[in-house]
Amino acid sequence: MSSKARVLIVDDEERFRITLNKLLAVKGLDVHNVGSGKAALEELGQRSYDIILLDVKMPEMNGIEALAEIKKIDPQVEVIILTGHASVDVAVEIMRLGGYEYLLKPCPIEELLEKVDAAFERKMDREKRMSKAAATRTGPAS
Amino acid sequence: MPEQSEVFTLISQRYVISLLIVAAAVPAWFTGGPLFVAGLLLIAWAAFLSTRHLVRQILRTNEQKCSLDQQLIQSQKLAAIGELSSGIAHEINNPLAIIGQEVEWVRHILKEEKVEDPQQMSELKESLFEIARQVDRCREITHKLLDFARKQEPLIQSVDVNRLVEDMARLVEREAISKNIKIVRSYNKDLPFVLTDSPLLRQVVLNLLNNATYAVGKDGEVTIETQMGENGCVNVLVADTGCGIPKEDLNKIFDPFFTTKPPGKGTGLGLSICHGIISRLGGRISVVSEVGKGSAFTIHLPGGERKGEA
Repeated sequence: MSSKARVLIVDDEERFRITLNKLLAVKGLDVHNVGSGKAALEELGQRSYDIILLDVKMPEMNGIEALAEIKKIDPQVEVIILTGHASVDVAVEIMRLGGYEYLLKPCPIEELLEKVDAAFERKMDREKRMSKAAATRTGPAS
Repeated sequence: MPEQSEVFTLISQRYVISLLIVAAAVPAWFTGGPLFVAGLLLIAWAAFLSTRHLVRQILRTNEQKCSLDQQLIQSQKLAAIGELSSGIAHEINNPLAIIGQEVEWVRHILKEEKVEDPQQMSELKESLFEIARQVDRCREITHKLLDFARKQEPLIQSVDVNRLVEDMARLVEREAISKNIKIVRSYNKDLPFVLTDSPLLRQVVLNLLNNATYAVGKDGEVTIETQMGENGCVNVLVADTGCGIPKEDLNKIFDPFFTTKPPGKGTGLGLSICHGIISRLGGRISVVSEVGKGSAFTIHLPGGERKGEA
């Protein structure tokens, strides 16, 4: 299922994002990583992604601000927040902005892979439903 | 020192007593004789009783005030520690995540590339396993710290405390039986429903029950009781026949990181979290303990409502 998912990691901790990139790539995912919210927006302007793994506490543009902008560029992308800074207020805000999941670091890799799989499955289902609905609307007139 | 209002109460009551003395003494003065003496003695006795009652009341009020002050200091201390420790926990989570991932990556490399010496390979795997285990241990601490510091608003609903307590008792009973620990129940059937946060209360009761069975070890009893307390409070008592808590440790048991368990067996955050939760629910936890005889923790929950009011 997750072998074709395109994943973007957004985290200002270089070592974290590089190793996570390698770990997800060996599982068959198409992974890229960037070090800031602004870089993520630029990347989204050039390529489309299925899932974004987003940190919250980052300089210049934090994860919540980045999430709002990401959803403006691509409302369909599934965003999983992966942060060391747990807060109920932040979690609520993330869900309100359309975030898919909220995980607290350090998160076991198996748990993260499960969430990525589930998010990708949800996105594929939604896209299937949308294309089916579009086909029904534009179907041949009798 | 008595409060200003208490002093006024004392003065006004003494004023009433003085008036009574005068009111009783004036007719006795005119009649004279033994009746006069008896009247004076009666009045003196009444004044003595009244003063003694007042002094006791003042002392009791002072004791209550001291206890409330101590509770306030404890809550403020826990809040300050919570804020500090959650900041530290946040900062530690990031390096922990990196260590955990590096372990996963080295494991992956080891799967791909074989190490020639089987003993070296086995030692490498063992080391990685230990690093991962210690990361999990730190993770448990930081996540519990964040739980402890979390200022989550309780979701208040009408709760059948007896049922909630029984659910938790059943949860620990299976393991308790295997250690020959008997769970003794004593529920007040007329207990009113309580307006509280059910998952939070469940967490506290479960924590106290787990602590109680741990304290007993094996061959003993854990008693769980629900009772009506003072001022309409509903009390949940969890008592054990375990090792008990030394007197010098009693005022530290709600402090974060205070534990008597061996390293790696407990974070020392359970009771701190319980204290924080019950404070948020408007109640308090009290404890009595005797070394060698056991401990009894009581959750005092405020104001119940009559059954069926929900």
